[in-house]
Amino acid sequence: MENIKTADFSNQNIDEDQVTIENIEFSTLSKKYATSRRWLGLLVCLTYSTLVLFFTKQTWIAIPNGLLNAITISSFVISGGGLLITFYCHFADPCKAYNLREQDISYRCGLIFSKVISQPILRIQHVELKRGPIDRKLGLAKLQVFSAGGALHTFEIPGLELEKAEQLRQFILSHKDLTIHG
Amino acid sequence: MDKSELESGALLDKGSEEATQERENNGTPWQRISPIALVYFLLMFFKNIFSNIVYLAPAIILGYDKVTEAPQLWLPIIFGVLGLATLFSILSFYFFQYRLSNQQIEIRSGVFSKTNINLPFARIQNVELNAPWYYRPFGYTSMQLDTAGSTQKEAKVVAIKETLALSLKKQIIASAKQARQVNELNAAHPNENGLNEERLKEQSGNEEPWVEIEEQEEVQLDSRNLDDLVIHGLTNNRIWIFLGTMAPFIDNASEGIGNFLRRFGIHIEDYLLFDGMSMWQMTWHVISIALFFLIPITLFSIIGAILTFHDFTLHRSGDRYIRRSGFFTRNEITMRLSRLQMIVQQQDWLDKFLGRRNLKFEQSNANITQSQSGQQSNKILVPSVTKKECEALMQDAYPDNQLDSIAFNKVSWRLLLRNLLLFVTPILTALYFVFVSNDYEDSIQVYVLIAFIIISLSCLRYWRWGYAIDENYVYIRKGCIGVNYYCFPLHKVQQTVFKQSWFLKRNKLCAVQFVLASGMVSVPYLSQTDGVKLIDLCLREVEESKRNWM
Repeated sequence: MENIKTADFSNQNIDEDQVTIENIEFSTLSKKYATSRRWLGLLVCLTYSTLVLFFTKQTWIAIPNGLLNAITISSFVISGGGLLITFYCHFADPCKAYNLREQDISYRCGLIFSKVISQPILRIQHVELKRGPIDRKLGLAKLQVFSAGGALHTFEIPGLELEKAEQLRQFILSHKDLTIHG
Repeated sequence: MDKSELESGALLDKGSEEATQERENNGTPWQRISPIALVYFLLMFFKNIFSNIVYLAPAIILGYDKVTEAPQLWLPIIFGVLGLATLFSILSFYFFQYRLSNQQIEIRSGVFSKTNINLPFARIQNVELNAPWYYRPFGYTSMQLDTAGSTQKEAKVVAIKETLALSLKKQIIASAKQARQVNELNAAHPNENGLNEERLKEQSGNEEPWVEIEEQEEVQLDSRNLDDLVIHGLTNNRIWIFLGTMAPFIDNASEGIGNFLRRFGIHIEDYLLFDGMSMWQMTWHVISIALFFLIPITLFSIIGAILTFHDFTLHRSGDRYIRRSGFFTRNEITMRLSRLQMIVQQQDWLDKFLGRRNLKFEQSNANITQSQSGQQSNKILVPSVTKKECEALMQDAYPDNQLDSIAFNKVSWRLLLRNLLLFVTPILTALYFVFVSNDYEDSIQVYVLIAFIIISLSCLRYWRWGYAIDENYVYIRKGCIGVNYYCFPLHKVQQTVFKQSWFLKRNKLCAVQFVLASGMVSVPYLSQTDGVKLIDLCLREVEESKRNWM
């Protein structure tokens, strides 16, 4: 494990000298991202409970007892789950962060099980910016990077400011290694 | 041809009109494939029906009831389906056209949805010739053309004379090679191909027979005899291939077997009643029943291995590996050495006992959807080789690998602890309630035996984990009773993942995953410094050497 090559190789992380993933400085995602996720969770739960309320209180259709029980149980599960997820997201979303070095791009996520994914830029096959309706409203974007590792291992950074996401994309696309070895 | 002309006169006019137009455009006439392809299309029709049986099931079930009420409908239905199939295959055959011109191949196909594929020879990565059994007496073969990765379209010339296919293949490979050499000149960086040639030159000093021969000539690296295949069948259950095809008949078969045995006074149902037996008697019964089923299963498995790997040969021609095998359908897989992502060595417990192992050359699975079912994706599997043969093959592919001599680092003992606490304890608790709380005789002894087996298996599993790295390769060892070895070059890594939970972080441990084009490999519970080092070295090799991964 001691054969580290020492040639003219640079993979600078702003001002760090040592090329290791251990001491990369991560930049956080847009603050709007965590907020938007909380609101989205709340919205989903509220929509569901409104529907349930409407469904159980209405008088046009008689609901069989079994179905009523199922609805009650599922609304408990959903609201409980929603609460847990919101709780988790509240702490986990701020952990999400990314970093761009000269030669690779990394993404960190996870609260209890933390994960750092690193994607060398010259292995990138194509880049996509994805923006859902909420993302568009808030001016956010999700950066997706595809390599030959397959769809399961798509590298993605959510919740970037649109401008930042476009910069990242531009950086990747204009990277000199990509054009030769794509 | 005559038949199809009769069947679809109106269509013919349109088709020939188009053909003349195209002829003016390009000068080369479109060609039809051999009529033997009718058989292929017919089989494809039924294959498509059966693979979509889930969607058809409601219709079939409803229809079945109706038809059993009115049995006179059977004949028209059968004829209808057969007629439809024939019509479909004739139309598919009629619309399948290809032409070769200007260093490219064009394929037009499809009855309702037309596809038109245009492939320059230089873009073709792989040419595979597969001859189904019904092609072989007539000397035909089907030619599958593989492009670089992401295309989902299947470029396949369904039936073509074998001699023509071989010469075409040569031509395609030659022009693809030429294109690559031009690329190499353009690119300043040395990549795989250059290295391969160096490798070839380097080895020409040795007295390996294959080096002296011209690059395009094929050299046999390995072949499998019948006894190897019998061993392979024993050690690798290929029964599932058979079960898959036999599934509809299993119910009938088991009933048949029951009736058959009853004639000799053996009653399976009685045999399966455990009332009033001691635990040992019961165990003995279970074992004997298992053996009773195991013997035919093993026999089928051996037959399966022989059918799949009959006359197995592995050739090398320049930087290409070519694997051929198959009893009915002759299957050919070609892989360029540079596309090889990872070597896997598998040794099951029975393999270990017999001193054999399976060697797998894995390449990118990006076009896995493209490969036919039944064909084992695009891996090259060399079944049941001996240690020596395996080493020779590995040395041939990766001359500087040290898989056999390198010292593996162990993972942390906390992995064992976690597995015992998280998986083994719940299982054992559940088993305790099943066995001990029910009042079978000898139940405590059996429980202790089972607990001992489970615990020792998880110890063994922990013991097998190992990882190592040298200047060029990462080596991973894992398994339980059997052992698997994985070896991949540093520069083939597509993506790395560094994982750490709170618990792992406190103990300065981590897990590492390497994403390759052929799949993902991971190492759990290694020390944090080693994990970081592994990732750093891989990323660095990828980014610094800038070597291509395919």
